[in-house]
Amino acid sequence: MNAPIKLPSGRIDRRTFLALTGAAAMAGGEAKAQKRGGTLRLSAQSNPSSLDPQTGNSGSDHVILYPLYDSLVEWDYTTLQAKPGLAEKWAYPDPSTLVLTIRDGVTFHDGTKLDGAAVRYNLMRAMSHERSNIKSDLGTVAEITASGQTVTLKLKQPDSALPLILSDRAGMMSSPKAMEEHGRDYDRRAVGTGAMKLVSWADNERVVMVKNDSYWKKDRPLQDGMVFQIIPELPTGLRSVTAGQNDLVYYLVPQQKQLIDRARTLGSAVGPSLLCVHAYFNYGRAPLDNVKVRQALNYAVDREEFNKATHGGIAETTSTILPRAHWACATEYSGTFTYDPDRARKLLAEGGHPNGIDILGVGYAEQLQVQQQEVLIEQMRKAGIRLRWERYTGPPTPAAFFAEKKGDILLAPWTGRPDPSLTYQLVFGTGSYFNAGRGEGAPGLTEALLATRASDDLTVRKEAFRKLQKIVTENALHLPLLFRPELTAYSAKVKGYKPNLLGKPKFEDVWLEG
Amino acid sequence: MLANAPRLMLVGRRLVQFVPVIVLATFVVFGLLKLVPGDLAATLAGEYATEERIAQIRESYGLNDPFLVQYGRWLWNAMQLDLSRSFQSNEPVLEQIMHRFPTTMLLVVGALLVSLVVGVPLGILAATNAGSRLDVAVTSLSSFGVALPNFWLAMILVATFSLSWGWFPATGAVRFGADPAGAIWHAVLPSIALAAGGIAEVVRQLRSALIEILSSQYVRTLYAKGLSPSAILWKHGLKNVAVTLLTVIGLLASRLLGGAVVIEAVFAIPGMGSMVVRAAIVKDFPVVQGVVFTMVILVIAINLVIDLLYTIVDPRVALK
Amino acid sequence: MRALRAWLGGNSAAVLALFFLVALFTLALMAPLIAPYVPTAQNLGNTLAEPSWQHWMGTDDLGRDVLSRLIHGAPASLFASLLAVGVATAIGVPVGLLAGFLGGWVDDAISRVIDTLLSFPGIVLAIGVTGALGIGLTNAMLAVGIVFAPGLARLMRAQTLVVKQELYVDASRCFGASLSRILLKHVMPNAVQPVIVQVTLLLAVALLAEASLSFLGLGVQPPQPSWGGMLARAYNYMELAPEQMYAPGIAILLTALAFNTLGEALRQALDPTRRRR
Repeated sequence: MNAPIKLPSGRIDRRTFLALTGAAAMAGGEAKAQKRGGTLRLSAQSNPSSLDPQTGNSGSDHVILYPLYDSLVEWDYTTLQAKPGLAEKWAYPDPSTLVLTIRDGVTFHDGTKLDGAAVRYNLMRAMSHERSNIKSDLGTVAEITASGQTVTLKLKQPDSALPLILSDRAGMMSSPKAMEEHGRDYDRRAVGTGAMKLVSWADNERVVMVKNDSYWKKDRPLQDGMVFQIIPELPTGLRSVTAGQNDLVYYLVPQQKQLIDRARTLGSAVGPSLLCVHAYFNYGRAPLDNVKVRQALNYAVDREEFNKATHGGIAETTSTILPRAHWACATEYSGTFTYDPDRARKLLAEGGHPNGIDILGVGYAEQLQVQQQEVLIEQMRKAGIRLRWERYTGPPTPAAFFAEKKGDILLAPWTGRPDPSLTYQLVFGTGSYFNAGRGEGAPGLTEALLATRASDDLTVRKEAFRKLQKIVTENALHLPLLFRPELTAYSAKVKGYKPNLLGKPKFEDVWLEG
Repeated sequence: MLANAPRLMLVGRRLVQFVPVIVLATFVVFGLLKLVPGDLAATLAGEYATEERIAQIRESYGLNDPFLVQYGRWLWNAMQLDLSRSFQSNEPVLEQIMHRFPTTMLLVVGALLVSLVVGVPLGILAATNAGSRLDVAVTSLSSFGVALPNFWLAMILVATFSLSWGWFPATGAVRFGADPAGAIWHAVLPSIALAAGGIAEVVRQLRSALIEILSSQYVRTLYAKGLSPSAILWKHGLKNVAVTLLTVIGLLASRLLGGAVVIEAVFAIPGMGSMVVRAAIVKDFPVVQGVVFTMVILVIAINLVIDLLYTIVDPRVALK
Repeated sequence: MRALRAWLGGNSAAVLALFFLVALFTLALMAPLIAPYVPTAQNLGNTLAEPSWQHWMGTDDLGRDVLSRLIHGAPASLFASLLAVGVATAIGVPVGLLAGFLGGWVDDAISRVIDTLLSFPGIVLAIGVTGALGIGLTNAMLAVGIVFAPGLARLMRAQTLVVKQELYVDASRCFGASLSRILLKHVMPNAVQPVIVQVTLLLAVALLAEASLSFLGLGVQPPQPSWGGMLARAYNYMELAPEQMYAPGIAILLTALAFNTLGEALRQALDPTRRRR
């Protein structure tokens, strides 16, 4: 059962995914086979923006934060449904109150105890600290009280998204003592309750961790330590594993699957992910304030060909922002936009652009991104859309589009959030930073968004998400393309790796053989 | 003996020169980055940005202050050797430089050594056999060396020695202090790639300097006296060779430091070059300024050492 | 032909280099006529193909004809070199001329600035400036040009200092010629020869700088083809299609070599000591 997990080529549907992770779970269940010890060396694509979960600003930080921090709530690898973490259990005594019971006997890396007061301190800091980047995550919380191991959150309005929000940055618990002691320096200290303790972090070079001997989870950690080597170029990252400088590399692009399979010494895992490759639209101004033009762009793209050319054909193409395997996905909209250049031309003409249209895109200058941009240029050209790209390197790219309002569209992946209501809120919500026009994209959108958080009954929520997706699809508020599968490659001695649906790898079950 | 008056004056001159150069260099770079459009605060806010957070960042980093105030603040701190912290990650800049400096220096010194070890014998061979087929071969080879894109050579080296044969690592670097052997092993391919131009430069300069010496009246007289060519070269050529080499080393040090940027990119080496490029792109002023500061000090220090060495090799220089 | 050879000092390598460059410029100007395919035409059904009769150098990751991209990459590279060296000359020559001729505090100030700029690794500065100015070939080459300018200025200054001492300069000054007339009519023509040599050599350095910047993604922007950009893409597919990295690299190497060979030949041909003999 230790064989690397391989998927048949073609897209990952829900069934293969379940079968896949089921098999992996069985492999993980063979506790006897697990070995302890050794340092896991990983190639990470980007330097963490901060090791303080509350001040960080990049979706790729999580993979490095997970070993250092536990969150109040965790999620199931396959379904992403909430399950207990540092909070043993939680309940809504009424729709506007959430009560958390905190696990007893957990200590931070500095020896202080995790109790209700510590949790309250963390949540209050997330809501009010001037450098907190997650204030809006806890925007519905009005008041927090703590006594012993119990924490009570009084809400301004019913919010069923909170448990999963507490599985994200907001739920990662830091030692209040350490945060007070270090002030701004806490960005680089990281004192959590996690399986690993931070040893050092050299910018754009490496993050070094050593195991936490008094970790609360039974039989964990399996490794003596972890080292994340920062290697921005993915081909180089993969080469570092092929050549033996690292044990594992994650966030690979699917074209690299072919390479991994050719190198016989490597194992790999392909998992689904919430990472949606799409183009944001600035629908706050011409020409994309015109729904016909937005639809035209959506029909002008051949998603299958795009998948084949840029993702080795193994990604799941989409017309929505959630993958089909996700509980909240309105699957009837997943294939709405089929490739139809004639229809795109017709839509353009109806929208007042009979001679085609010029569109300025903003994009990253990194090679693999440029490749995607080039394919889009060629596809759109056939529908009369003259697409041009203005490129930036790294973080200034989204800033140019969202803050400086450059360009009409931005090609950049959305990394996803554990609770889908946040994804919709952040990408399409009125006034949200990721809505470059800031206005309401379509009438009824704000109301439909609120409805997704009103109940904690999954079937009710699912229906609310269906209504919301209907508005998004009909108004073509973005250009969804595909979900980039999470591709991880590792050397032969790495065992027990399982992908998860969020697409942000966790390594707690990984062990090293030999 | 070493601390004679002309030498002290030389050191003094260099030190006086140092302050205006530092101020000028950092001011130019700061102004350049400042003039350029683009909202640093929005970049710093990243994926979790909100309008409110961006405004708050602008305030807390003092980005609303006038240009001269911002520069003055940096300069004042820098004069007390506080290079402040990275905007992006809050890491102290000095710490970051200390981490990366040895890695880049290992590359540059490695490339310099390769250049000299290969270049000097070739240069001498070519000069002592001037006009022969050997000379033509060496000279043409060095022409190729100058025209060779070093990152392309790096790619070929990676494809051959790392991926096909697995002799050397394809990526990364090990800190010299942590594991000297590992550090050198990692630095072999990048140093060779970087040295291609260096070898050519050493060969060219050395060859032309030697040919000039060997064709001088003085050396011809020595020939006439019956000294063997190798003895002439050994006794009289070497001093001049040393002067030429010092000049070349000074020239190469700065050039290799620049070339290292691209080589660091090919091998994913966390060095000073990749650090300054990344920082310049996101306009992380404290980091860019810190690197400029360090590089200027480095170049001035190298020039000073070379000037001092000139006076040792050829005392007449000091008297000028 | 013989005259040309004689002018280049009987250096047949230089003649060869000159022919190569003339051919390359012709190729660059007529690229659309010569290239067998449109360089941006994709064929996603035939990616990373090996050389064949249809595609002499194979196809790239998006099924584009590598030979056509190579041919269309020539104008970008040549334009880039000319632009960078043009900028360097336009800044460096007048500044050096003024510093050398006027002397005094002007010379001191200019020399100090030149020293500062020269003490900083050029390509690092160019990359930093490009990153800040915004990605693109023109910005990148402006930056490279600015970086080259101080070197040219220093050379021009040194030459001017020599020429300034000549009798005819003093003479025209006595006749009350204006400063600009003295500089343009008397100093420039006599000081400029080594600068011409240096400019030719700089073309090679600029070409390499352009390739480096395009390799780092800061120069020529795809889908427009460039040699450095082709190498960057080839680097990503090194394991699957290693042959992709040879042609663009050889193109850069040969062009830089040709500029250098020509520059060296000019240096010898214009060398005053040789002419006197």
